[in-house]
Amino acid sequence: MEIKEQNKLIQFQNIVKDFDGQLVLKGISLDIYENEFVTLLGPSGCGKTTLLRILAGFLKQSEGNVIFDKEEISELPPYKRELNTVFQKYALFPHMNVYENIAFGLKIKKMSKDVIEQKVMKMLKLIGLEGFERRNVTLLSGGQQQRIAIARALVNEPKVLLLDEPLAALDLKLRKEMQYELKRIQQEVGITFIYVTHDQEEALTMSDKIVVMKDGEIQQVGSPIDIYNEPENRYVANFIGESNIISGIMKEDYQVCFDDMDFACVDFGFKKNEMVDVVIRPEDLDIVKEDEGKMNGVVKSVLFKGVHYEIMVETVPGTTVSVKMNVTREHDVASSDAKERISANNFYVDLADVKDLNDAEIIARADAQAWDPDNGDYLSISKIEYELKEEVGTYPVTFSTSSGTSVTTSIMVVEQKYVENKKKNEAISAFNFFKTADEIKESVAIDTDLKTWANAQGWKLSDESDVEIEDVEYDFDPDTIKEGVYQVTFSTKGRVFKIHTTDFVEEGSEVGLNFHPEDIHVMSKMGY
Amino acid sequence: MKTFRRLTYPYIAWILAMIVIPMILIVMYAFTQQGNEVATLHFTFDNFMQFFTDMDFLRTLWLSLRIALMTTVLCILIGYPIAYMIAMSSSKRRNLYILLITLPMWINMLVRTYAWIGILSDNGLINSLLSAIGLQPQKLLYTDFAVVLGMVYNFIPFMILQIESSLAKMDKSLLDAANDLGADRWQRFVKVTLPLSLPGVISGITLVFLPAVSSFVIPKLLGGGGYMLIGNVIENQFITVGEWNFGSAISMIMAVIIMISMYVTKKLDKSDDALSRKRGSVR
Repeated sequence: MEIKEQNKLIQFQNIVKDFDGQLVLKGISLDIYENEFVTLLGPSGCGKTTLLRILAGFLKQSEGNVIFDKEEISELPPYKRELNTVFQKYALFPHMNVYENIAFGLKIKKMSKDVIEQKVMKMLKLIGLEGFERRNVTLLSGGQQQRIAIARALVNEPKVLLLDEPLAALDLKLRKEMQYELKRIQQEVGITFIYVTHDQEEALTMSDKIVVMKDGEIQQVGSPIDIYNEPENRYVANFIGESNIISGIMKEDYQVCFDDMDFACVDFGFKKNEMVDVVIRPEDLDIVKEDEGKMNGVVKSVLFKGVHYEIMVETVPGTTVSVKMNVTREHDVASSDAKERISANNFYVDLADVKDLNDAEIIARADAQAWDPDNGDYLSISKIEYELKEEVGTYPVTFSTSSGTSVTTSIMVVEQKYVENKKKNEAISAFNFFKTADEIKESVAIDTDLKTWANAQGWKLSDESDVEIEDVEYDFDPDTIKEGVYQVTFSTKGRVFKIHTTDFVEEGSEVGLNFHPEDIHVMSKMGY
Repeated sequence: MKTFRRLTYPYIAWILAMIVIPMILIVMYAFTQQGNEVATLHFTFDNFMQFFTDMDFLRTLWLSLRIALMTTVLCILIGYPIAYMIAMSSSKRRNLYILLITLPMWINMLVRTYAWIGILSDNGLINSLLSAIGLQPQKLLYTDFAVVLGMVYNFIPFMILQIESSLAKMDKSLLDAANDLGADRWQRFVKVTLPLSLPGVISGITLVFLPAVSSFVIPKLLGGGGYMLIGNVIENQFITVGEWNFGSAISMIMAVIIMISMYVTKKLDKSDDALSRKRGSVR
């Protein structure tokens, strides 16, 4: 630590920046040392480029200090700062050739011609573009322009090189190549690189130190290995690499509980029974035989990803509820002179909702309709008769038109059926329902319609917030359905782990999942 | 695509009728004697001889070129800073400035030039002001100064708009890059902004020099009846003297001079490129 203290090259001290009242940086404090490859990582709009532009001198911070080499440089114009920038779209001067572009900074410094030539040639060699000095920069490939932009900056021998998403415009293969190239160049010239990117893979590959940013704040600073293995919160874990993140409770040091099971871990220092987030990386989970691992589950899907399979294993099934769907015949009634037809469905209603029923509501729920069979025009239902009690039971209801055509159906008052799942802290409910075969055949999104018809809902027991119904299962073919009673099952999403492995397993097979205590990483919940 | 080509036929016909045929006529007139019937065309170089042997005509040509050149240089010197200011301002202000620059062009050029007579004449606006503060009145109207002023005033919007559009087109990150590489504002301007705006300056020169060299309304109004530029000479030959053949010959001479000057300007632009390429190649 003592030695590092001396090599502190740049210090951001509580940098705040607002654009017209909008806070872009909310107090950034960060130290950058000599010869470091530092990456500012975050999604677009997180303030990383703003921080870089403040350091370069193109923007001025609203508050805070920028210390460069023990000097406060906030008042220094860009051209007096001992750092150079590689711009996102390279910003090569189109009216100059390769040589002149690279020599630009040296000519400004009024160096002698032969010194400039020596330095430019050395740079061209470093970036592997010897013999390109007379080329027109606008006719070069993206990768070559990129290298020239780097050479143009490095030739000035800055103490720090700033790179603003320099690889964003390149294709994947070239980007990978340039990643190694940049790292090599950084090690060869031995200066500090500050690299801005939104690409977590780039950051992991090249950096000595990664600064993860979000909404103008630093989330975590650390080496790639630290950041990957010991993310500080859910955001960082999600942003860097893929991960399974589970809510859990830290029972005591070295023991965490999630999905109603206790697991040994290597984390400590949390409060007793503190709510935490638990990260398990997909590659840290091993698939073993059933009952041989720490958890059991069912393989939900297997995706081939090239090097590995991405396997989804459900360890805790979701909460399910089954209802009966009564498929009925067309039950419309014709008037005696066959000038009118009328139809309605039976329907179920919750005991608690009976008092809210009125005529319009009953017509809607029963889907009562009257029409003229000759031209298909709808007719109004003018009369509706029923007698309802706030008791479980079946009550007839009669709908009629003004000319007296009528149909009678039933309202079934029931107590709403719902399934509670304490382990997953959720509940789900749905109603039995009546539909005609035609209505089912006409549905274009049968899963969604079934949810609507059955009024299927899921909610969290703790705060009644909505839980999405992930799965709708049924055993009929909607295109050829006939009258009868069918079972429809709704379920919420279970606990699913993503696993990266090179071993193939069959979809639907039952497997065990194994991991070591050190594969679990426990994080504090993000602050609210 | 072939069917679309047919759509160009009306334009080709238009160009033929309005540009090509008159040009051919001018060439024909220039090389023939007056009073020819079409059947008995008599070709001659006399019209050209007449022009190049008469010192008065040559002096007028020289004056025209000088006035046009002066106008162009002044348009660059005044127009560039204005264009730069417009290009660097926010887009809302930019639109306003461009509107202000183009606004006078909505009014007939003749009327605007007449307005200058009112301002410059012996008891006009400027001289009234001068005498009001106790200074000697100056002869302003019917001088070279008045003619150049009228031309600069009329043609400067073309220069400003051309330069402005080439400056606005410039990638602003190039300015950051120049700054970043150690260039202060002046160095940045000389090494990056100016060279990148040269194409705009070149096309501005074309748009100002050409109308200036052949203008006859402005010199007539602001230079006075005796003030002769080459455009006035041509006008006279056609309208007052009725020497269409001689007038056509002068027009042709002007056309050749303009072509040469355009060629030279283009070359200048190119050689600038070539020069920079060479400088890199010395190693």
